[in-house]
Amino acid sequence: MSDNPQHTPRARRGRAPDVFRPGGWVPMREYGEDETVDFAIVGTGAGGGTLACKLAEYGFSVVAFDAGPYFRPLEDFASDESEQTKLYWTDDRIVDGANPLQLGSNNSGKAVGGSTVHFAMVSLRFRPEWFKSRSLLGYGADWPLDWREMWNYYREVEQALKIAGPVNYPWGPPRPRYPYRAHPLNAAARVLAKGCEALGIGWTETPLATLSAPRGLAHPCVYRGFCVAGCSTNAKQSALVTWIPRALAAGAEIRDLAMVGRVEVDAAGRATGVHFHRDGTWHFQRARHVVVAGYAIETPRLLLNSTNGQFPDGLANSSGLVGENLMAQSNQAVWGLMDQEIRSYKGPPSLAITEHWNYEDKGKDFFGGYSYMSQGPLPQLWANTQMAARGLWGARLMSDMQNYNHVAGLKIVGEMLPQENNRVTLADEVDQFGLRIPRVTYSWCDNDKRLIAHALKFMTQALEEADARDIWTQEDDTCHLNGTARMGSDPARSVVNADCRSWDIPNLWICDGSVFPTVGGANPSLTIQAIACRTADRIRDLAGRGELDQPARRRYAAQTAQ
Amino acid sequence: MTEFDTDRGSLNAGLAIAGLLAGSVLLLAAGRAPANGHRNGRAAALPPRRSSRKRPTVVAARRLNRAAGVLAASVLADSSVEHYRGSFKNKAMYTPLIVSASTLATSLHGTADARPAAHWFRDATYLTAAVSGLIGTGFHIYNVGKKVGGFSWQNFFYGAPIGAPMAILLSGLLGFCSERVRESRKGTRPEIFQLPAGRTMAAVIGAGLLGTSGEAGLLHFRGAFHNPFMLLPVTLPPLGAALLGRAALAGPGQQHRATRWWMRVLAAMGFAGVGLHAYGVSRNMGGWRNWSQNILNGPPLPAPPSFAGLALAGLAALELMEDHPDA
Amino acid sequence: MHDRGRPEPRYPGYDVLTKRQGPSWNEQTRRVVSQRLAVPAEPRFFTPDEFRTVASVAARIVPQPDGRPPVPVAALIDEKLFRGASDGYRPEGMPREREAWRQGLQALDAEAKAAYGAAFHAIGAARQDGLLARMQSGDMTSPAWGRMSPQDFFKRRMARDVVLAYYAHPTAWSEIGWGGPASPRGYVRLDFDERDPWEAAEAGSGDAVEVRRINRHVG
Ligand SMILES: Cc1cc2nc3c(=O)[nH]c(=O)nc-3n(C[C@H](O)[C@H](O)[C@H](O)COP(=O)(O)OP(=O)(O)OC[C@H]3O[C@@H](n4cnc5c(N)ncnc54)[C@H](O)[C@@H]3O)c2cc1C
Ligand code: SF4
Repeated sequence: MSDNPQHTPRARRGRAPDVFRPGGWVPMREYGEDETVDFAIVGTGAGGGTLACKLAEYGFSVVAFDAGPYFRPLEDFASDESEQTKLYWTDDRIVDGANPLQLGSNNSGKAVGGSTVHFAMVSLRFRPEWFKSRSLLGYGADWPLDWREMWNYYREVEQALKIAGPVNYPWGPPRPRYPYRAHPLNAAARVLAKGCEALGIGWTETPLATLSAPRGLAHPCVYRGFCVAGCSTNAKQSALVTWIPRALAAGAEIRDLAMVGRVEVDAAGRATGVHFHRDGTWHFQRARHVVVAGYAIETPRLLLNSTNGQFPDGLANSSGLVGENLMAQSNQAVWGLMDQEIRSYKGPPSLAITEHWNYEDKGKDFFGGYSYMSQGPLPQLWANTQMAARGLWGARLMSDMQNYNHVAGLKIVGEMLPQENNRVTLADEVDQFGLRIPRVTYSWCDNDKRLIAHALKFMTQALEEADARDIWTQEDDTCHLNGTARMGSDPARSVVNADCRSWDIPNLWICDGSVFPTVGGANPSLTIQAIACRTADRIRDLAGRGELDQPARRRYAAQTAQ
Repeated sequence: MTEFDTDRGSLNAGLAIAGLLAGSVLLLAAGRAPANGHRNGRAAALPPRRSSRKRPTVVAARRLNRAAGVLAASVLADSSVEHYRGSFKNKAMYTPLIVSASTLATSLHGTADARPAAHWFRDATYLTAAVSGLIGTGFHIYNVGKKVGGFSWQNFFYGAPIGAPMAILLSGLLGFCSERVRESRKGTRPEIFQLPAGRTMAAVIGAGLLGTSGEAGLLHFRGAFHNPFMLLPVTLPPLGAALLGRAALAGPGQQHRATRWWMRVLAAMGFAGVGLHAYGVSRNMGGWRNWSQNILNGPPLPAPPSFAGLALAGLAALELMEDHPDA
Repeated sequence: MHDRGRPEPRYPGYDVLTKRQGPSWNEQTRRVVSQRLAVPAEPRFFTPDEFRTVASVAARIVPQPDGRPPVPVAALIDEKLFRGASDGYRPEGMPREREAWRQGLQALDAEAKAAYGAAFHAIGAARQDGLLARMQSGDMTSPAWGRMSPQDFFKRRMARDVVLAYYAHPTAWSEIGWGGPASPRGYVRLDFDERDPWEAAEAGSGDAVEVRRINRHVG
């Protein structure tokens, strides 16, 4: 390793790390702090990284900040679960509520590329009806977006990430062919398939953001199975190796190890730039527009931490909804033992999926849907699951761990309903920068519990049909956070509009998973990136019409007056 | 370097590939004689030659032996690698290795043999090869069908390759044809089952090209045609098949020069394919240093020469048609 | 829960470290694993007393077989706390990692003294197991716990750190037949009952001598 990216910023002096070459560099445009850039973007993950790329390609000047390091996966990532915890956001946070969330490794990333550096690459489209779940399905909230428009943006993202997916996707309206073919199934995936076939429901290869054939300098997947510990092959199409290199090539600047602590707003109620901590001191970057894209916890935290006399409750918070309606996705599992060797550590963890219960509404006693996927936990994760979820320790744990290579599991990604009481607030304690830390409050509602019960029952049956024995259920797990700055068409009941622009501050945007009004039963990153692509297009269009500086509220008023 | 000492299977696979190259070189060398009509009896191990006069049927037969040998070499290397990947779970998985190895040896024998008579041993080997190709195809179809998901893209992509055993079937057929051409009496029309030999073979080879192209198409589709060169084996061979088809239907006395040139192009493509696949292997993680994975997961090195084998056979058939306009 | 004797290993003769110089390991992995194998035996974060308690807790949560060098679980935990590594979240009432450990160990000793009149490390395996089971189910009331719930401490701090430390060690990887580090080389054979030559063979999957031979030569 040429240097330590966790201690010293790498993107500086006109160059940024070349993620495709050990020790390599690519040129990077740099902006002075006094230079007012068009966009200062906080966060370089699924939302921020995508937006930075698109805006730079449209000719805007962009500086994107990330609190995390700028890794070169080929040289910086070890094949080691412990070592790779360096990818996670492990700054202090407090969890409470009836069902406190597990964060850290299970949730946020802290690196250029954000959580996509260690995500599991599952790349699903939403079911079209979910964009209007209140009107069409009777729960949650409607999105101010049309699924047909989203269908085009999904396509753009799938192409940009060379998603490897099945030749024909069994659910939903037709979609174009995935750019790359699906990966081979591992035994764990075939267990899922067996169960589905026995129960008469559809299944398919999971569309994954990891290469099944070479792409430029990126190698195809070698099925090493360390995906959630970071991909040292560069097969994984994270923002770090897709959008960010494009952003740099188009003239964006990336600032790594740069923690934004506050968005500055002037007396006129307009954002003027961001305060960020880098190299041991605070700096200020001027910007015409500020985009917050820090993930569903850090985004509201930053908005709430940026209070001033004019906005005593935090920025963009006239609705009082910043931080509220936090939605995790339920992530319960059923595990069993197979007579055959499964060795699920080989290959990406979720090679097969069924979205049956996302698209089938009959036979449900709950709102929403869930998908479920095959699993491939590595030893530390698996041992901790046995201990924490099953309560095993001592001789039982040791002897059960011996069955590691025979374990097969099915795990849901389930829809949880938005509730105002599930939220991110600020605790009194502060972090290493003196910023108040977030408190994350979470409790399941009855609908959440019914969905989970349905899923566990169904998956137990599926595992039984696949000839698993010693089946047990893992009841307490959640994944993927969204909500906390929802988009909508009414300023009183949402934080941003369909373009991700805040209702209150015309040049403050929020572009990440926080804007989701509902989460559906599908992993969110493809949708986050599609929204970012749409936002970029909208910004370009608004700028083209000279409307970029016109507040969202004025246009809302004009609309409602008609 | 521990894997060198311990990973015997990979070593075998490496040997198989070396064998493929050596086999091809030998075949070409042995085949040089009929190609330019001169020989000097240097190779003592080769069968004695009684007829030194250039008889077109024998020349064609030896060329066909050579083509069958190239195909067999490709099968030998390919099935060694693929069945090693399948850990030889079933003892029957050794069959194609044994059969293709003996077909290769037989073809070498035939290529070097200038006598105008069929050899019972060659006939037996070629027929065995053809039959085992058929049985192998059956096995592969059965294996794909019994996987969960059945006859799906997933299992066609990653399960036992349905088209692969066809290559040894084709090798056997070509060899069998070669023996029929070789034994045809002077002054009579060379025939296979009473059909004109040249035209029949052109048709068979054309079909073989189509099938092989289909197989390449399936696997290159799996690779999402990420490199434009991957389009070659799905475009050039079908054209070649069409040209051969036209030759098969054409009346006597035609030159088929374009077809012949096209066969040369296909042969070159087949051998160049090994190079392209080697490049493909190098583009995988760890490149050639990680050969124990990448030879198996990367593009198959031994596969493309099967096009060369068929193209060489096509040339032989065309030249036979030229020498025997009625064949 | 009592100590295991020495049952037939599931992957006889397999040592994942055999692969260390081969294509399954890259330089950065060799470096972090070497560092882990060289973890100092003496505590740098815990006091000697605390360290002894951690070791006796670890011996109950991940009891190790005799006949091989033990995984130094307590030392690995000490190293992590010394470094100041964090999970990135904690339940309401639980302090950050270091304070949580200190407080939890104190509470555990307080519980042991209240129940058996001696510190945790001195009360014998069966009683230790009994106390740990009570902690796991939340059946503890010593004021030494403060605002931290014993259950949370067990599940989210103590047992978690013990289990993570043990399964971060190559000895544990070998024991469960995991393929171990895998970059640049990953895997080829993915289906049911398929094993790459660089993976461990399971006892019973072939004759015993052959299985051992395979496992000694994974590379
Ligand atoms: C283990 C795991 C597996 C997952 N698997 C999948 C999957 O298979 N499919 C899927 O669709 N989704 C998956 N996800 C979820 C997915 O990764 C996230 O939903 C997505 O990345 C969120 O995008 P984002 O832009 O909101 O935030 P992120 O991608 O997390 O990006 C936020 C970035 O902002 C930075 N940041 C935050 N605050 C600040 C600040 N104040 N100053 C500077 N920088 C800041 C952070 O460092 C981070 O890099 C997974 C997540 C995890 C944890
Ligand atoms: S399995 Fe594929 S995507 Fe996952 S870490 Fe390995 S190479 Fe990367």
